[in-house]
Amino acid sequence: MAGDLAVDKHVRYFRYALNMLPSSMAQLDATRMTLGHLCLVGLAALGQLDTALSADERRGMVDWIYEQQVQPTGDNAAYCGFRGGSLFGPHEACSYAASNMANVAATYSALATLVLLGDDLQRVNRRAVIAALRHMQLPSGTFAPHPGTTESDPRFIYCACAISTLLDDWSGVDRDRATEFIASCVGVDGGLSQAPLQESHGGHLYCCIASLHLMGRLDALPDRSRTLRWALMRAGTGYQGRVNKPADVCYSFWVGAAVEMLGGHEMVDDDELSKFTFQCEGAYGGVSKCPGAKPDPLHSALGIVGLGFFRPELPRMSPALLLPEDVVERLTLARQAASST
Amino acid sequence: MVRESSEDNIVEPVALPLSEQEEWKDVTPLEQEDSQFSICPIAYTDGYKEMMGYMRAVMAVGELSERAYELTGAVLKENPGHYTVWVYRKKLIEELHLDIEKELEWLESIAEMYPKNYQSWHHREVLVSMLLDARVLADMPQDQQVCHPVIRRELSFLANAIDEDSKNFHAWSYRQWLVRRYGIWEQEKVFIDTMIDQDVRNNSAWNQRYFALVQGETGSKVLVDDGTLQAEIEYAVEIIKRAPNNESPWSYIVGMLLRHAPEKLYDELLPRIQQLSVDASYDQAVKSSPFYWSALVDIYESRAAKEDADAREKILDLARSACAALATDHDPVRMRYWEHRQTTLV
Repeated sequence: MAGDLAVDKHVRYFRYALNMLPSSMAQLDATRMTLGHLCLVGLAALGQLDTALSADERRGMVDWIYEQQVQPTGDNAAYCGFRGGSLFGPHEACSYAASNMANVAATYSALATLVLLGDDLQRVNRRAVIAALRHMQLPSGTFAPHPGTTESDPRFIYCACAISTLLDDWSGVDRDRATEFIASCVGVDGGLSQAPLQESHGGHLYCCIASLHLMGRLDALPDRSRTLRWALMRAGTGYQGRVNKPADVCYSFWVGAAVEMLGGHEMVDDDELSKFTFQCEGAYGGVSKCPGAKPDPLHSALGIVGLGFFRPELPRMSPALLLPEDVVERLTLARQAASST
Repeated sequence: MVRESSEDNIVEPVALPLSEQEEWKDVTPLEQEDSQFSICPIAYTDGYKEMMGYMRAVMAVGELSERAYELTGAVLKENPGHYTVWVYRKKLIEELHLDIEKELEWLESIAEMYPKNYQSWHHREVLVSMLLDARVLADMPQDQQVCHPVIRRELSFLANAIDEDSKNFHAWSYRQWLVRRYGIWEQEKVFIDTMIDQDVRNNSAWNQRYFALVQGETGSKVLVDDGTLQAEIEYAVEIIKRAPNNESPWSYIVGMLLRHAPEKLYDELLPRIQQLSVDASYDQAVKSSPFYWSALVDIYESRAAKEDADAREKILDLARSACAALATDHDPVRMRYWEHRQTTLV
């Protein structure tokens, strides 16, 4: 065992970030939903979610998330779901529909965060969320994040699959097309990329594998063992995201979780990997992308979850959903109970 | 309004707050609302808060004006992740028929500050598509295509971006878009050769090499001719000699042959790498490279599949020995993987 996580410091770090971010993070004003999601994932991965937040705080956060829900108004079907922050202004003031858009990443983060906070998703307009997803899928099978952009990639396929799983409704995703697209992203090296013929990349590896896993289509991989090997070849002291790049702690989740889903748990030198994560722990809490850099919520959460795959004393996290396994079980049981009544 | 900069006594003009500008007198800023336990609130500067108040006000009613366009520029400089503002800015350019060349200049300043921002690269795609129709270049010879001012500027922009960060994923991705859309394959091959020569470990360049080789085609029907495959084998081996412990050329040549001509793995690649492993100039470095041994496993495993029972076991034994060598000596961090592979080879 390489050492002990500075749990208390990390709890303080996440609480601090949830409470207030510095002005230099105005760049992330449209992604507060994702930042919050990551902070709560970090707390959950440490097993500290229940103790770190009061019931009032949790209720208040749930309310804030619902305040970001974009409801259908008649001309904005593709814009529905959850928006990334409150920076767009009050919904009722936005008469120009395109000024007030949800995006699939924020919708995924919103739903996952609601679930982490113990919410029952009753206030989610499921029909509107799923209908918006349908608008976001391209003919090739990949997904755009929101209307009006040429961006499309596996990150949004993953968000769509996670949303569909959390709401138990796949009518917004053409799974055959999404699977075909993912299969076309397998490179000659067995890795997975953003689009056909682009460089194999750990982040897209995760999004593709997790999507296939959630859709029940892992068998669509042309050569699963080669893909697993590509992933395992990224390991050393920490995980790199691409061939010949330096290790970055977030890949201990992106690549590490893919390894888990592809059945490679036993093949990993977890001591060597953990060593890197500990080197990345910040002096005041949080985890940074590499030793000596400043911590941020993304690297903090993902570094801890990645480490947690090998730490039986930490809660088991679902590699496919970035949620605690017991939360996923609770959801599944609730779903089964609902469908049997 | 002016103020003196303390650093070098330069007097720089500072814009008046929007609330004091004549041009904005008719607009009431629209505030954002955050309840008590809002998630990850940001300690906005006054300047950002004010700018956003006016941005929200004009966007909320979909105002199509030059002042709105200018304001989107200021907002995106502070917050390039503001996704609705990118969409709005694009709409303003289209509706007001604004100057795309000027827009590209502005975009370069964003790219300089935020080289990895997704939206800015996609905005660039849209602008260049508006500026240059692919059909204009379709019948031009290759050496004339690269002289077209739009193409020349994009290639120069990309060369700078890649010079700043030779593995910038967005830059290489945008390059693929540009090369594919305008069919400028010849110059790409030259560029790739140069990039690999500059840094044999640049995996983005190696990936681009395969992309250029198949001219952006995907699917099971993609063929690569024999002459090209042979040339690539020679090329990969030459680069391997320069740094045998470099994953890229190994991954490239094994992957390509597996897909397009698996028989060449054993017939063509194997003898060449075995030659290196007994050549005094390279043998030490090659035999201590995990990629050499890993290539042997792939080569033998692929060959074994074609052999009949006796020959197959002999070849698989060679693969197993290579796995053992990797587990014990050459790639110990993946010991458990190589042990697993050793036992599951069939």
